[in-house]
Amino acid sequence: MVTLGDYLVVSGLLFTIGFAGVMLRRNIIIIFMSLELMLNAANLSLVAFSRARLGPNGLPDYNAQVFVFFIITVAAAEVAVGLAIIVALYRARQTTHVEDISTLKF
Amino acid sequence: MISAPVLEFATVGLGLLLLLIEAFATTLPRRTIAFAGILGLLAVFVATFFVATPPPNGGFWNFYTADPLALFFKRFAIITTILVLLMMIDYAPVVRAFVHGATTEAGVGEFYALPIFTCAGLMWMASAIDFIMIFVSLELVTVSFYVLVGFMRRNAASLEAGVKYLILSAVSTGFLVYGITWIFGVTGETNLARVASAVIAGVDRGPALFGMALVLVALGFKIAAVPFQIWVPDVYQGAPTPVTAFLSVGSKAAGFVVLLRVLAPFFMLPEVQRLLVGIAVLTLIYGNLAALPQNNLKRLLAYSSIAHAGYLLIGVVAFAGNAIAFYLVAYLLMTILSFAVLVVVSQTGGDSIENFDGLSRRSPFLAFAMLIAMASLAGVPFTAGFFGKFFVFDAAIRQHHIALAAIGVITVACGFYYYFKVVRAMYWEAPVANTAIPVSALTRVAMVALMIAIVVLGVYPTPVLNALR
Repeated sequence: MVTLGDYLVVSGLLFTIGFAGVMLRRNIIIIFMSLELMLNAANLSLVAFSRARLGPNGLPDYNAQVFVFFIITVAAAEVAVGLAIIVALYRARQTTHVEDISTLKF
Repeated sequence: MISAPVLEFATVGLGLLLLLIEAFATTLPRRTIAFAGILGLLAVFVATFFVATPPPNGGFWNFYTADPLALFFKRFAIITTILVLLMMIDYAPVVRAFVHGATTEAGVGEFYALPIFTCAGLMWMASAIDFIMIFVSLELVTVSFYVLVGFMRRNAASLEAGVKYLILSAVSTGFLVYGITWIFGVTGETNLARVASAVIAGVDRGPALFGMALVLVALGFKIAAVPFQIWVPDVYQGAPTPVTAFLSVGSKAAGFVVLLRVLAPFFMLPEVQRLLVGIAVLTLIYGNLAALPQNNLKRLLAYSSIAHAGYLLIGVVAFAGNAIAFYLVAYLLMTILSFAVLVVVSQTGGDSIENFDGLSRRSPFLAFAMLIAMASLAGVPFTAGFFGKFFVFDAAIRQHHIALAAIGVITVACGFYYYFKVVRAMYWEAPVANTAIPVSALTRVAMVALMIAIVVLGVYPTPVLNALR
């Protein structure tokens, strides 16, 4: 039997992998993929929480499921704009590596 | 009397209309789009004074509120956007140089239209009382800022700032949704009022605090609090200057409104209080110390914006809504004024403080405007910035956060040094050139209005303080 805890562990792992990917990887495309992983971790736990909280009529809490749709939509918009910026960067610099992006001093 | 959400729909409609005009009226001068945007926003601003009292909760009103706080920050967002659009008209030559297209005017129209969508996002955020609504409106603001920050496609600094803002902002979004997930998991609610009653009724504290901490990380990013400030200097320096001004005022104000609303249910938890005090102290010290050695004015203003986030956080710790609102208004006036002068001056040279050398002899008007802005940012008496800090410290002392207020006062002294570095360059250094810098009549009027507002609020702060009551 898969319990709420199991889903939360998987979602926590996804979030950690995503965050580690953002911090450790050096290719912007991969960093962007890791970001999507972080958002999907939230989606997974939202759906798990919604299933775990059955209302008095035996139906899940739909607030969370609606939220998941919003997250998916917003993530798509973010990817559309983000990839456009990355493509513009690639055209200007011929690179997608973070080490090569250092005009502005940190 | 109109229903409050109509304001946002009108703003989004205005933005879409301007984009359509941009696309189809190819012979129309692009400047017209900016003026149409300003006029449209002015109309929406007037309309905010005729909002019908919202019905009690239910349906849509579980997500959206039109309380005085919301209306106040809607007006704040509209005024900020209007001033940013005025600044953008002055900045258009730079955008033209760095965006290549079929015509020389390519891209300028979108540059004027995009801030209006950001404004709509800010207005929605001011009204959001549900985590779903907060998330979606925050993203509307953030995604339109992605485009604006990286707008100058042929400029290496702007693109780089765009990518950095994109990645770090997306990380903060990840933290926000994951935090909201946990708060939902514990309380079973996304509506802030019901989250509050669930927390009062007693919940599992560990997961609730974990979720709240993640949300605080995300909001800390928006308001540029230490240790989530790493993006600020680079993005502020690289972004087009009007966008920098918009980021530092609009994004920060929205962050604080959401912070006030989100914190309300969790504020009685002592852990949250301690966390906030820690962040406030770090932000104050880091922002003020890191600003000291800066020679690029945009970067200096970036660190100063971090420092101001620290003063505002003192207000949050004392949970003084009125003091925060007043501080944000003062911050709006002085920051926009300094960036407006910077836009005009930097086109004759660059963003460094050296470009301001001897400005008082080249263009006494611009130098005086900058003097007022810097004095107010530093917190000299008889400017709005002074009362902003005064109210915040006062609220902190009333709540017995004496140490926090003391650190605030010490860092203010530190601030005097770097703000007056700019004043010294303008009034005591030899001029780099002898030609006067041209200022358009419209910009001049806007600058005079900002200066008058700063001085008037520095003497008579009551109107803004009463706006929230």
